[in-house]
Formats: sequence, C-alpha cells, structure tokens
Amino acid sequence: MLLSTIVFLPILFSAILILWPKESTLRPLALGLSLVEFLVSLVLIHRFDMTSASLQMVEKYPWIERFGITYFLGVDGISLWLVLLTNFLTAIIVLGSWKSIETRVKGFHVALFVLQTAMLGTFLAMDAVFFYLFWELSLVPMYFMIGIWGGPRRIYATVKFFIYTMLGSVLMLVAIIYMMFLTQEAFGEMSASILDFYRLDIPFVGGQFFSLQTLLFFAFALAFAIKVPVFPFHTWLPDAHVEAPTPGSVILAGVMLKMGTYGFIRWTIPMFPEAAEYWAWLFLLVGAIGIVYGALVAMVQPDIKKLVAYSSVSHMGYVLIGLFAFNQFGLTGGLYQMLNHGISTGALFLMVGMIYERTHSREISKYGGLASVLPLFTIFFFIVTLSSIAVPLTNGFVGEFLILLGTFKAEPAFAYVAVTGVVLGAVYMLWMFKRVFFGEKGELVKDEHHPLLDLSLREIMVMVPLVVMIFWMGIFPNQFLDYSKASVDHLIQDRGNYMLSIQNPKSDKINASIQGENK
Amino acid sequence: MSIGIGDILLVSPMIMLFLASIIPITIKVLRGNIEQSPSATLIQGLGGLFAAIVLLMVVSGSGATAFANALVFDGVTKWMGFIALLAAAGSLLLMYDNPSTTGDQFSELVFLTLSSAIGMLILVSAVDLLMVFIGLETMSLALYLMIAMSHEQKLSKEAALKYFILGSFASAIFLYGIAFIFGSVGSTYIPVVIQKTSELITSSRIYMFGITMLILGFCFKVSIVPFHAWTPDVYQGAPTPHTAYMSTAVKAVSFAAFLRIIATKSLVGSENLFDLLQWLAVITMIVGNVGAILQNNFKRMLAYSSVAHSGYLLVGVITTGISDDMSFGATGVIFYLAAYTLMTLGAFAVVTLMEKSEETIINVDDLAGYAKKRPLMALCLTLFLLSLAGIPPTVGFFGKFYMFTAAIGEGLIWLAIWGVINSVISVYYYLRPIVVMYMREGGVDEAPHSMNATRTAIIVSAILVAFLGFISGPIFELVERALS
Repeated sequence: MLLSTIVFLPILFSAILILWPKESTLRPLALGLSLVEFLVSLVLIHRFDMTSASLQMVEKYPWIERFGITYFLGVDGISLWLVLLTNFLTAIIVLGSWKSIETRVKGFHVALFVLQTAMLGTFLAMDAVFFYLFWELSLVPMYFMIGIWGGPRRIYATVKFFIYTMLGSVLMLVAIIYMMFLTQEAFGEMSASILDFYRLDIPFVGGQFFSLQTLLFFAFALAFAIKVPVFPFHTWLPDAHVEAPTPGSVILAGVMLKMGTYGFIRWTIPMFPEAAEYWAWLFLLVGAIGIVYGALVAMVQPDIKKLVAYSSVSHMGYVLIGLFAFNQFGLTGGLYQMLNHGISTGALFLMVGMIYERTHSREISKYGGLASVLPLFTIFFFIVTLSSIAVPLTNGFVGEFLILLGTFKAEPAFAYVAVTGVVLGAVYMLWMFKRVFFGEKGELVKDEHHPLLDLSLREIMVMVPLVVMIFWMGIFPNQFLDYSKASVDHLIQDRGNYMLSIQNPKSDKINASIQGENK
Repeated sequence: MSIGIGDILLVSPMIMLFLASIIPITIKVLRGNIEQSPSATLIQGLGGLFAAIVLLMVVSGSGATAFANALVFDGVTKWMGFIALLAAAGSLLLMYDNPSTTGDQFSELVFLTLSSAIGMLILVSAVDLLMVFIGLETMSLALYLMIAMSHEQKLSKEAALKYFILGSFASAIFLYGIAFIFGSVGSTYIPVVIQKTSELITSSRIYMFGITMLILGFCFKVSIVPFHAWTPDVYQGAPTPHTAYMSTAVKAVSFAAFLRIIATKSLVGSENLFDLLQWLAVITMIVGNVGAILQNNFKRMLAYSSVAHSGYLLVGVITTGISDDMSFGATGVIFYLAAYTLMTLGAFAVVTLMEKSEETIINVDDLAGYAKKRPLMALCLTLFLLSLAGIPPTVGFFGKFYMFTAAIGEGLIWLAIWGVINSVISVYYYLRPIVVMYMREGGVDEAPHSMNATRTAIIVSAILVAFLGFISGPIFELVERALS
C-alpha cells in the first residue's frame, strides 16, 4: 500500500485544499501536507532493499482485464531517488512560492499537488497504459501553472509546451498499443505490463529504419526526447521556462525533464536493446551537440532565467550521453546527474525568482555589484553556481565526472566534445555571476527608492535544504548511489535480455536463494 | 406475414415514446390551446424517455427480431438506443432552459423530440434497408421542424432550410442506392445483402454503385468530408439544445446504422471502397480539426470538432468492417460514441448557460474571466474540452484508446497514427476556450434566469466524463459480450 499512498496522497491533499475554507491558512496547510508526503516517501527509503535489483513493494491488480491493463506500481533503484526528488522539491516549492504566487493561491496549490501525483505516477507505474495516463496527466496542471501564473508571453509558451509534448507522446501511445498486440501474439494474452514488454523479442534489422524494433524504438524515444529535451526538440523549453512562474520552472526543470530521461532508462533502452545500441551514436551525437549548443546559447543570454533555461539543455545533454554510453559509469552518472540537475537548477530558478521578486527584472545588464548589497544571497548563489558548474565537493562534480568517465570508455570522440561543455559551463555561469554580483552597481541595485533586502528567514529556510543536499550528495555520493547500484548493474549487465522480477516481501529469502542458484 | 404480440412487446419502447410524446400536446389542446407549465411538459417528456430506456433494456439484447425480420433487438440496438435516449433526455433539459426553445410551443417541441427519438430507435434496430430509411426520415423530419421552430428568427430558419434541402438530397441518394442494391441482390434485408456482397462486389457494377450511394448517404448524415458543408451552418444556426441533440443522439444512431451496414466484412471484397473510406476518414479528421482552428464562434468551433470526431469514428467503423470479429471494433465505436455524447452534450450545455436571449452569439473570446466568476462551470467545461481532445484520464482518452486499439489490431496503423496526430492538432483549439476562461480577464455574463436543469445536466456529464474512464474496462466487456 505504500506506493499507492505515495502516489495518490497528493490528490487527496488537493481535494482537502479545494474544500479548505480559509485563504489565510492555506499556505501553512499546504506546506504541512507536502511535508507529510515527503516523510511518507522517507519510509520508502527505509523499507527499500538496496541489495535487490528487482521491483519492490509491488502492487499489482487487474484493472482493464480485456486488454491486460493492470494497476501496477513498483519501485527499484532507478525510480527510488526520483520519487524522493519529486517530493523534496514539491515541499521546497510550497515554501518558495509563498511570495511569488499572489493570485489564486488555492488553485495554484491544487494544481501543484495534482502535478505531484502525475509525476510520482510516471516514475512508479509499471504498466504501459497506466504510465501513459500519468505521463499525459502531468501536462494539464503544468499547462495551467504556466498559463495562469506565468509571464507576459505565457499563453504562447504554455500552448507550445502542451502541443509539443503531446505530439511526442501520442506516437508513443500507438507504439504501446502495438506492443500490447505483440504480447498477445507472443504469450497468448494481451498485456500492457512492462515486465511482459521486456520479455518480448522484437525483430531487429540493423541499418533499416522501417523495421519493427527501430520504429517502436523511435516512437518511444521521440516522446522522451521532446520531454528531456534533446537538442533539436528543445525549442519549447526556453519559452516555457522563461514564462513559467518560479515554482513552475523549478518543477519543470527539477522533475519534469527527468521524466524524459527516466523514460529512456526504464522503457526505451531495456525494451529495445538492439535498436538502442545501434542508434546510440545518434543520441550521443545530439547529446554532445546539446551540451555545447546549450552552453553557447546560454552564454549570450541577456536574461538570467533564460540563461538557466539553456543551461538545462546543456546539462540534460550530459545525462543523455551518460545513458547511451552503456556502461556502469555512464548510467550511474546519468542517474546521479538527473538528481543533481533537479537540485542545482531548481535552486538556481528559485534564486532567480527571489531576486525577481525584489526588482521585477531579470536582465543581467541592469544588475551589478549585488554582492555588497545582498551578501547572504550572494553566498547561496555562489554555492549553487559551483554546483551547476560541477566543482569538486559539490554534487555536480560526481555526476559529470562519472558521465565523462563512462563516455571516454565507450566513445571517446563524443567525450572530447562533451568535455568542452564543462569549460563552457564555467564560462557562462561565472561570467553571469561576475556581471550580476561584482563590478559597478547596476541601475537596479543602486536605486535608492527601492533598497534591496537580503534573504528573509523563509528564503533561507528554502535554500538551506538545497545547499545541504548539494554538499551531501557531493561529499558522500555512495550513500545515494548504493541504493541504485543493484539496479544499474542489472541494467548494464543484462541489457540485451533485460528482465525485472517482482520481489515478494514475504519470501525475500526464497528469492535470494533462487537468484543464488541462477548465478 | 402476421403481427404477433411478441412484435408489439419488442417495439414497446417506441410505443412508450409515442404515448408519452402525445401527452403534452393533447393536454394543450384540451386546455384550449394554452400551454401547461413547461416543467410539467418536461417531466412528461423525461418520464417517457426513461420509461422507454427501461423497456429497451428489458426487451433488447437478445437478438430477437420483430415484424418479419425488419427490426432486430440485439446489443447494438440496446446500447446505441440507450445512448441516444440519454442524449435526448439531456437535450430536453437544455431545451427547457434555453430562451430560444422554451416557453411558447414547448409542448410541440417535446412531441417532436420524442418523435425523432422514435425514429432513432427504428434506425438503430433496423436490419432492412427500407426500415433504415424510414427511421432516418422519421428522425430527420422531426429535426427539421424542431430547428425551424426556434424563437430566433433568422439563422435558425436558414439552418432549417439548409438542413432540409441537403438532407432530402442525401436521403434521395440513399434511397437510390437501396434501389440499386435491391436490383442486384433481390432483397433489402441486410444479412442477405451482406451474404451476397462477397460475390457481387467484384462482379456487379450495379451492386457496387448501390452500396457506394448508400455509404455516401450515410457520410452526409454523419458529416464526413466532403459532405460536411452543412454542419457548421446548421450547428451554428440551430438553437444550442438542438445542436447538442444533433451532434450527440443523431450522430450516434446514424453511426449505429452505418455499423450495421458496414459490419461483417462488407469491405473485405472491395479494395477501392476500403481505400475510399480510409481516405475519407483521414480527410475528415484533417478538415474538421483545421477548420475548427479558424473559428471564433464557439458553436461553429464545436461543429467542426464534431466533423473531426466523425473522422475518428469512421476509423472505428472501417475497423469493424474488415475484422472477423465485429464485436471488438463495434464496441470501440459504441464506447467512443457514449464518451463523445457525454462531453459534447456537456460542452454545448455550458454554451447555453451564457445565452441570455435567443439572439445571443457566443464567441470563444466571450468566455474571458469565466473561471473567476463560475469556477465550477469553468472546471466542467475544461473537463469536457480536455476529454474531447483525448487527454487522460478523461473518458475521451479511453474512447480513443479503445477505438485506435481496435484499429491497430486490424493492422490499420496508419489510420491510428493519423488519428493521434489529429488529436494533437485538435488540442490547439480545445485549449483556446480554456486559455480564455482561465488566463484572460473579462466580464463574462451568464443568462440571468435560473438554469438549474442545464446545470444538472452539466454536472452529471462532468462527473461521468471524469470518472467513467476508470471503470471503462467492465463496461467495455459488458457491451462486447452483448454484441457477440
């Protein structure tokens, strides 16, 4: 029941919020509820068995039996941390949006909690149709979040976001349905369970685009690539990020982009191993291009938020090449970088939002000399910047290092390109930092009618957990990686014939003995 | 041929409807041509509809036939009749509140609505081409009158005349087709026609001509491009409750009859006909969706969306036509029609909420600020629109899912891909009202008079749209079992 609780508790919360009569106590209530959800997900870590690569805490009930669609939730080392990340960031966002969301407060929190359910469901659903429900559902609250509380061009941005992402996912739906028929052919019974999808042996013809496995592979990959977003499909992202309200950007960058990379790990790569291997060069290529392109474009942005948005394109490029390096280092690094990016970019968006609340401008040229006015803010911003450019001791370093290591091992040529991204990343972040925080005071900073106030207690409380996580994950990465190790090893070693078993909590020992025999 | 008591029992839903339909006008006559209170009329009408639904549920589903095999009461009759009668009940609620339909002559309107519902029941149960024609005409004639009776003086008259002329033209083509089929097969009984299809469709030009004419007649009724041109004008001009009625009940039963004719492999023999229908489906989807993008009038936009949905449904019909097991595809179509009925009825019902007088024209931009003023109704409309676009977890998604699953199962992957791509296009215009309602400020105004009947219809359909999808599995199996 734990996973169902985690997934559907936020929906219950949003129902409570809808019925809540008093506007004034709404935010504290929402904060309390989001913390409850976070605590529940800590129970998940506690119960998680890190030695096992199989699906744990599985809940599987028949749902639409006619088509073999099941209510199927399960967690393994790959989705575990993403669930935690989601709940962690949601709680932070509730606190972080205290001032930035001024209108329709109730509606905002309702949308946020619905979104949380959709994201958690995406990470935990192990049935293709069930997964697709959550995947598409996540568009709706985000659409409202950008469209209602966003910036001046919000309507354009939100419609573009919606249509772009949906275009990718409908082809995935066709592929899912097709694979359901394949399971019927292969096993005699239709099934949408991912375990049965893994068991399918789909014919692959190398070099031919119009062959079954390749087409299915690309139908899935397109949906995930648009979500990530991978280089040529990234154009919705800057618009959506810039127009979204701060909490929207945080969730979008922090969690929703990971739904794409998670999709690659969970669905595309293990289901279509031959196609994934054959076309890996393509993803390494667009990943590497994304890294350099995102960094170069970020460098010339006059708007801080846009700069952070393009840096996301660059960072997600790292994740992508990590995944398609197909070795332990790359995959571990990719997984870790997903979490890092969620935390550091989330923190950056939050801080950009904080400064925007004070000055109502995000133009870099109007700032300068902020360090002397807002010392505390500067310190936090600097730490987050360091994490974003992957300085050792911060979390970003671990992720990028592992990814580059993996890529060097697998495809050195792409690694050479990717490494330049490290330098470019430092260039755009530090240059921005210099222009905003040092030098002569900009027009907004020296404006005496509006003296700038340093971080309030609430804002410090928002930032401290993020900064703690940056160092914690940077200094003790194994505390996190140990949980995913079994799953990652399993994926890398048995990639060609990937299976997941379901762990039965009552017969752990039996399972272990069976696994022992198999080895 | 003798008519037994069994025949009478089987058609008892239609008799029930007829009896209920004459109550209000009889009372009116007895009172010296003075209307009774509209709520009494409404209750009589709804009572008749619900009694008919109960009778239909009891008598149909067994596959019994009445009147020398002219009417059959199988699963299709049962569920399509159910959908049509429910849609009629919903539309009656809307008519009761709408300024262009309520008040004067409301009893006549209820009479006509129930009469057209009788036509619908005949249409869904007919297994003889001539009975199909009779059903179609009974239904349509009542509709022409209903539209023309609107209190609005200009557009509705134009719409009624357009619908009448083009409708008669299509009926003539349909009848022409029947004549040719009779000429080549020697019977108008559909099972016999289907039996001979496989040999005649390749050998007999006359038969080919007949079946093509027949299909084109249907294409007109369900507004398949290029026979859709009447749809936007008629849907816009007709009073909104009637538009809701036409786009839900009328469309559902027309597709039911279409299914009966296409079903069981009549497409297998003829590549050309099969190709033709596929292309019609694709073009219909594209024209409907692209046309809807260009509209500003809300009703016109929904009219084009209805054209697009006919395209999706045609995919389901084609699937049924080529599959060995017709019940799977047909169930997909029926489920989709049920979903479509709920969401379209709801969307039109929200439109009627804003019609202050019979002259009111609702543009999409007029919805600005609706979410602030009426959060619940705005939420309902949002649900309906998202469902029309096929966003999970609304019932519209499940409808598309089942229908496209059936299509992919029959190997019509290209049609399914066209279908899903068109859903993406459709998102653009379905989102527009939502954008306007939630993201723009404005002083939208609802009609001042009480609209409780309409609101009830909206809320009931919204709840069904939101939650029916989750329990769609058992429903799907239930219908499928009834069909096979």
